[in-house]
Amino acid sequence: MPVLKGPSANPEAPSQYKQPSRRGKKAWRKNVDVTEVVKGLEEVNEKIIKGEVFAAEKPSADLFTLDVKGDASIPKRFPKQKGLKADEIIAARSAVPAVALRKRPGDKTTDGILPAKRQRTQYVTHKELVRLKNIADGRHESTVEVVDADFDVWDAPAEDAEQLATMPDIPKAKKTKAPNTLRQKPITLAANGKPVPAVARPKAGQSYNPSFTDYQEALILEGEKAVVAERKRIAELEEEKRKLEAAARSAAEAEAAEARADLSEWEEESAWEGIESGGEELTAKTKRPQRKTPAQRNRIKRRKEEERRVRHEAKQKLKDQQAERIKAIALEVAERERALELARDEMSDDSEEGDDNELRRRQLGKFKLPEKDLEIVLPDELQDSLRLLKPEGNLLKERYRNMLVRGKVESRRHIPFKKQARSKVTEKWTYKDFTI
Amino acid sequence: MARIKKKGTTGNAKNYITRTQAVKKLQISLPDFRKLCIWKGIYPREPRNKRKVTKSITASTTFYYTKDIQYLLHEPLLQKFRDQKTLEKKISKALGRGDVTDAARWERGAARPEKTGKPRYTLQHVVRERYPTFIDALRDLDDCLSMLFLFANLPSTSAVPAKMIARCERLTLEFQHYLIVSHSLRKSFLSIKGIYYQANIQGEDILWLVPYKFNQRIVGDVDFRIMGTFVEFYMTLLGFVNYRLFTSIGLKYPPKFDQLKDEQGAELGAFLLEGVNIATDGDVKAITNEAPEHGVDPKVQAEVNKIVQQLKEDDTNGDAAPKEAESDEEGVEATDAIDKFEPVAPGGDVLPQPEQSSSDPAELFSNFTVYLSRETPRQPLEFILRAFGCKRIGWDSVLGEGSFTTDESDPSITHQIVDRPVIQAVTSTEGDGEDNQTAQKLAQNQRFPGRIYVQPQWVWDCVNDEELKSPELYAPGAALPPHLSPFVRKTQGQYDPTLPLEAQETEAEAIDADLAEAEDGDEDDEDVENDMDVDEDDEEEEAGEDFGGFDEEEQEEASDDDDEEATRQRQRELEAELAGASVKSKGVDPKTKAKLEQKKALEKKAREEAEDLERAKGMLSKKKRKLFEQMQYTNNKKSAEDLKLRSKRRKLEKEKAAAKGKTQ
Repeated sequence: MPVLKGPSANPEAPSQYKQPSRRGKKAWRKNVDVTEVVKGLEEVNEKIIKGEVFAAEKPSADLFTLDVKGDASIPKRFPKQKGLKADEIIAARSAVPAVALRKRPGDKTTDGILPAKRQRTQYVTHKELVRLKNIADGRHESTVEVVDADFDVWDAPAEDAEQLATMPDIPKAKKTKAPNTLRQKPITLAANGKPVPAVARPKAGQSYNPSFTDYQEALILEGEKAVVAERKRIAELEEEKRKLEAAARSAAEAEAAEARADLSEWEEESAWEGIESGGEELTAKTKRPQRKTPAQRNRIKRRKEEERRVRHEAKQKLKDQQAERIKAIALEVAERERALELARDEMSDDSEEGDDNELRRRQLGKFKLPEKDLEIVLPDELQDSLRLLKPEGNLLKERYRNMLVRGKVESRRHIPFKKQARSKVTEKWTYKDFTI
Repeated sequence: MARIKKKGTTGNAKNYITRTQAVKKLQISLPDFRKLCIWKGIYPREPRNKRKVTKSITASTTFYYTKDIQYLLHEPLLQKFRDQKTLEKKISKALGRGDVTDAARWERGAARPEKTGKPRYTLQHVVRERYPTFIDALRDLDDCLSMLFLFANLPSTSAVPAKMIARCERLTLEFQHYLIVSHSLRKSFLSIKGIYYQANIQGEDILWLVPYKFNQRIVGDVDFRIMGTFVEFYMTLLGFVNYRLFTSIGLKYPPKFDQLKDEQGAELGAFLLEGVNIATDGDVKAITNEAPEHGVDPKVQAEVNKIVQQLKEDDTNGDAAPKEAESDEEGVEATDAIDKFEPVAPGGDVLPQPEQSSSDPAELFSNFTVYLSRETPRQPLEFILRAFGCKRIGWDSVLGEGSFTTDESDPSITHQIVDRPVIQAVTSTEGDGEDNQTAQKLAQNQRFPGRIYVQPQWVWDCVNDEELKSPELYAPGAALPPHLSPFVRKTQGQYDPTLPLEAQETEAEAIDADLAEAEDGDEDDEDVENDMDVDEDDEEEEAGEDFGGFDEEEQEEASDDDDEEATRQRQRELEAELAGASVKSKGVDPKTKAKLEQKKALEKKAREEAEDLERAKGMLSKKKRKLFEQMQYTNNKKSAEDLKLRSKRRKLEKEKAAAKGKTQ
């Protein structure tokens, strides 16, 4: 079909040479350069007019080629997708030769040459596994690396100074300042509130070969302590016993009362049986509070008055008695105060050190502090030879207790087993889970 | 109207934080938190009003300062803990999957920090932070040393790994080496718990306790995790302290450590100290022992040693090594010099001067060659002897490697320390070959002539008194004198068994005693039988444990005597008046008279003082007066006890003297 051209002064569309993008004004039709296309069309038009086109018809073999190779860039651009492993396996030919049907020699039979031992690099021993499990549970041997000191910590230059020297331009990071609270002494657990020394000065009585007076002093002191403890223990036992007895008695009483009640009920019933007809039901007899008569009220009032008077008289009597011996009482009170003050005085004993024998009531943490070991050799074990000395106390425990008493850590107790979740055993009825 | 203040923004609620809150804030586990607190020195606190901190508290809630915890947030160790936690998670995940190899790989990677680029952590910066100066560290060394010495003596268990024990042992031995070289050990005390040592380093008194060997039971109620955490920190601390101490006396740190010798039980002998300087590098300080020279007379050897010492001291241009070391030591000693207390203003109180020990601790045992029998505790003895200058110490080979000699019959031995009961040598006239056992015993108990045998306590008593005690008191089999604690503070006027009576009794007491003696002497002349009776009584009283009674009696007697004396005097005066003559002190020798006068003067003075005191007391407030009276009361009680003890001793001494006189 001939393409006819309309007469116009400027047949070409307003154009631009490059069209990198089709966005914006540049892509508008009037701005697109179509000269080439127009030129080609004109040529074809001319040829049509001249009748050249049909003469110049070429065979299709010249015009077209058959592409049998395919594009070489395509596999590069789209790498081959990996197929399923199963497909691969099915598709593959086994590299292993087919199993021979005839009898083969055993694995152990060799040709006489010893094979190289297989390295089991991947193997993890049981011991190692246990260790790994421990680590997974947070039980490391030690996480701190202890190295030999190879410099003087107290002479080492401050780190930031070094940094400042090397990198002057970089603004120094603000150094965190330790708070004042960090420098406060820990809470001492001594009863007198004074700091307990890390290692207390040994007393004279603690010598392995003490002088008589020192030893006697220490022995008496310890003996008194033991007596007090024993008294307390016995008192506690007694108390316990008394409580048990009281409980048993009250239980017995209650039982007896019940039995009596049963019995009386029975008797009453039997008594009633004779008189009352069977048709009448027994009503629960509860005594209703009745209004008190004025006479009763008066009586109560009088009785109360009387009681009050007696009480008052007794008190008055006591007072009179005390008034008679007021001097003696004043002396007594003074003596008691003196003793108290003396005790206080002796306890404070103007020493700067706390005593870790007597602890304050409120302690840190949940658990009670371990008791201090007895630090005295009994008289029959006292030896004057170093060879025969039986050391007393446990230093490990003492050091631990010392840490606690000085308030460095709160007291803890070793819990050998974690509380396990309670499990319930049931039987699964799997034999029921079947289908035909 | 002022603005209503919001609750919980100030005061206790703001200043304190509970442990759970702290752990949540730091995002670490509780054990890690505990560790961090121990290392950084953050202790539990006690708010004045717990209710005001949080409502939901129990009696056992632990509190910390919020600021402390806030400060912990900046701690580099925190990151390490978190890393550790992630590693744990990875491992446990891998184990859960059943990938044991994977788990092992994770763990290996963490264990080889140089491969993964993540260094393991040390506690160096914490040491610096907690102890800004070296003196601070020294002040806190008591606990550190006690702990490390204790752990060095523990048996290894799962809770206390053998590595830790070995490390503790090494550090403590190094520290002991420093004490030996610098001679800074001062006192030691054998208690029933263990052995106390006190050293003075740069003016700081350091006291620590070392357990006896092989006596450590592990008990259940000790938390080894906490103890282990402390030990980890203290190991780092003592390492740095040792470094500082060693370099301060010109020694190289760490000293050479001989593994083989250590395995043979050489302990102190397994270390070889070296000087820091290159010049001194060649000459290694053999701390262990001087070369054994057999067949040398010890006295001659001692003299030679002395001369060599003098030569060394004279020759200032001698070898570089000893000079270096000595000068360093002198430097240390110069800083150790004791200040003198001087009154601030003229006429001020004259203060008692601190006394420098008269004898040099470095010289105490320097001339001896000591042999330790195999039943004696070798480690403490070796340490103490070396610290007080002994150079040659030998011991039985069962006690381990590193002795000067293992031959008991070595002629150079001057002292042998024995702790064995004396077995009576049975003089068997029959065939010696038959009784094999006694022969062995005899051999065991054999004595070498020309050598002093003492019990171990001798060493300790010598060290504490800074003088050589007479060895007869400490001979084997002898009843030892009591081992007194050198750490007991002596108060004025207290009874001290070590001092002679004259040094500690008061003036009045001495006069009283003299008077009583004079009277006793008279009585002695009069009737001896009476005296015998008194003696018997005394013995009875001694047998009875109550020794309060007799003294009062004596005092009463004394007062009775005084009364009698006064009445007699009065009688005499009356008689003289009647006769018209002047009063003559008849039958009283001038000495006694002088004493009497002295006593009177003293009494008068005491009375005046008491009056002054009474007057001064009137000026005090009631409360203060009460307190003062209490003090006086307790002081009087104590001094009465001391008086009793002294009088008892006086009596004993007199008896002893009398016995001596009789025998002569």
